[in-house]
Amino acid sequence: MTTRPSLSLAHLAPGTRGRVARIARDLTGRAERLAALGVTPGASIRVLQTFPGIVFECDQTEMAVERAVAHVILVDVE
Amino acid sequence: MASGAALSSRNPTLLRLRAHPLKIALVGNPNVGKSVFFGRLTGRYATVSNYPGTTVTMTSGRALIGAEVCDVIDTPGVNALEGVLSEDERITRHLLADGGAELVVQVADARNLRRALMLTSQIADVGLPMILVLNMLDEAHARGISIDADGLSDYLGIPVIEAVAPEGRGIAELREALPSAARARVSRDERTSHIDWADASAARFRTISAMSLGRIQEWLGRAVREPLTGLPILALVLYLTYLCVGVFGAQTLVGMLENTLFNGYINPAATVAAGYIPSVLAQDFFVGHYGVITMGLTYAIAIVLPVVTTFFLVFGFLEDSGYIPRLAIFSDRLFRSMGLNGKAVLPMILGLGCDTMATMTTRILGTPKERLIAITLLALGVPCSAQLATIMGILGGISLWALLLLFGVVISQMVLVGFLAARALPGERSDFILELPPIRLPRLKNLATKTALRVRWYLGEAVPLFLAGTVLLFVLDRIGALGALAQAARPLVTGALGLPADAAEVFVMGFLRRDYGAAGLFKMARNGSLTGVQSVVALTVMTLFVPCVANLLMIIRERGIRVGLAILAAVTVIALGTGTVLNFALTILHVTF
Repeated sequence: MTTRPSLSLAHLAPGTRGRVARIARDLTGRAERLAALGVTPGASIRVLQTFPGIVFECDQTEMAVERAVAHVILVDVE
Repeated sequence: MASGAALSSRNPTLLRLRAHPLKIALVGNPNVGKSVFFGRLTGRYATVSNYPGTTVTMTSGRALIGAEVCDVIDTPGVNALEGVLSEDERITRHLLADGGAELVVQVADARNLRRALMLTSQIADVGLPMILVLNMLDEAHARGISIDADGLSDYLGIPVIEAVAPEGRGIAELREALPSAARARVSRDERTSHIDWADASAARFRTISAMSLGRIQEWLGRAVREPLTGLPILALVLYLTYLCVGVFGAQTLVGMLENTLFNGYINPAATVAAGYIPSVLAQDFFVGHYGVITMGLTYAIAIVLPVVTTFFLVFGFLEDSGYIPRLAIFSDRLFRSMGLNGKAVLPMILGLGCDTMATMTTRILGTPKERLIAITLLALGVPCSAQLATIMGILGGISLWALLLLFGVVISQMVLVGFLAARALPGERSDFILELPPIRLPRLKNLATKTALRVRWYLGEAVPLFLAGTVLLFVLDRIGALGALAQAARPLVTGALGLPADAAEVFVMGFLRRDYGAAGLFKMARNGSLTGVQSVVALTVMTLFVPCVANLLMIIRERGIRVGLAILAAVTVIALGTGTVLNFALTILHVTF
C-alpha cells in the first residue's frame, strides 16, 4: 500500500475531505489552541472555502482560520 | 423522608446543613447555551446570543433547587482548563480550583461530544462533583448525531441530562439530578492525553448517520461567507438596517414622537404648567431653551429612544442569527493590517450597539496589544447606536453621498490609526482562529427579552445623563460660561471647521454622551441652521470625537488612567484635525450636498 504524504490544509481545494494527520508544532501555542477546538490527529475535516480566509469543518465545528494557521494543519486526504 | 435518605446516601455532602448556599458553576465550551441555563435556573436574564464570547464576566444568581438555596455562576466559555489558557480560561480555572464552586454543571453542545469530553476530562482532574448536560439535542438530531446518554452516564458515573434549553427541555431533569452529582470517572492513565480519552469515549457513545442538515441552513451558511454572494448580502444587510433604523426609526417614529407627542402635547402642557411657577428662572429650568423637559426629555425620549429601540431590534436579530462572526472572514486581512485579526470584527460591530460594552468585549482578543488597539479604534471611530441613527437621520435626509463620505472618512481614519498603532506599539497579534456558530433563525422571545432589557438599560443609564447634561448646560448658560466657551472655541468651530457658533455647545454635550451631542446636531440640522457640508463636517468630528464619559471610565477601568487620557487626547486631536481638513477640502472643491 502506498502512503500518500500528508498535505497542508492551506493547499487543499474546497470540497476536499480527509483526516487530520498531525499539527506541526511550533513555539506559538497554536497547536494547543487548535486542539482545544477539536482539531487533533484523527479528526475528520472538510474544506469549505479558501478565499478570502480558509473555512473548514472539523468534526462538527465550522471554523475560519488565516493561511498561516492552515499551514500547520496537515491532512491525510481521502 | 425516604427520598432524602436515598439522596443523601448517594451524595452526603449535598444535604448536610450548610452555612452558605451551594455554589454551582455552569461551565462549558463557548456558545453552548450556558446563559440560557443560567436564566432558566435563576430567573435572571444573562445576555444570550449566537456567537462565542457573549458572556465576558462571571454572573451569579440565586436559585432554589428542591429545598436548597444555591448560587449559580454563569462563566465565560472555555475550551481548556490546562495548557495554554486565555484570560477567560484562567479565570474559570481559578473559580473551580480555589473553592469558588462546589459543583459543576458542564453544558455541552451535543453535536460536539468530543470537544465536550475533552473538557469533562479536565474538570474531572479538578475533582469537583459534576453533571453533564447535552444541550442542543434537536440540532444534533437534525445533523444525524445520536448519543447514548444512559451508556455515557454509566461510563462516567455522573448524571447525563439531555436538553434543548430554549424550549425548557431538560431543566427539570437537571434540577432533580443535582443531588446525584458526582466526580466523573475518567479512566485515563498518565500516558493517555485528554484528547485521546475524549476521542475514544466519543466514538463509543456517539453515532453519526450520514445525513445532511437542513438545506436552507447549509445554503445560507455558504452564501454569507463566500465573497461573490457574501458581499452583496452584506450590502443588503446594511441597507435594510438603514431602512429600519435610519428611515423608520429616525424619521417616521421620531417624527411621530417629537412633532405629535412632545411638540403637540407634552411641551405645550409643560409650558402652561410652568407658567404657574412664580420664578422665571425656575420656568426656564423646566421649559426654557435648555429646559429639562423641552430639551433633556425631548432629546432622550423623542429623538434617541426610537432610534436605539429599532437599532437594538435589528442588532439582536443579527446577533442571534450567527451572521456577525462570519464577517470576520472578509475583514481578517484588513484587521491584520491594523495589528488585529478578523476576530476584532466582533467588538467593532458590538460597538455600534454601545462602545462602553464593546470595550469590555475586547477581552476576547488574544493579546494586550490587540486589546489596546481595538479599544482605541472603538473610542475613535465606531459610532454607537444612537449616534449612528442620528447620523443616518440627518444625512439620509441630505444625500446618500454625504453618508458614504462620512463613513469613508471615518473608516479611513480608523485604518490609518490602526496601521500606525500596529507598528508603533510593542507586542504581537494573535492567530486568527474563529469558531463559526450555526446559522439560526432567531427566537422571537429571546429577541424581545434582549431588546427590552437593552431599552431599559438605555432608559436607566442614558436618560439621567441627558437630564444631568441639560442641567449642566442650563447652569453654564446662566453663569455665562457657555457664551465664553463658544467665544473661545469660535476660531476652531467657525474658523477651522466652518460651523455656526452654536455648534460649540453641541460638542460639550457630545462629551457627556456622544448621542446627546448628535441629537443636538439633529435638531440644528432640522431647524435649517446647518448646511449639507456643515452637517457632514460636524457629524464627522462628532463621530471621531472623544468617547462619552461612560466609555472613558470603562477604558480607564480596563487599561488604566494613563492609557485612558492618552486615548482621549489622541482622539480629540484626530477628530478636530480631520474635521478641519475635510472642511477645507470640501470648500475648495465647491462640494455641496
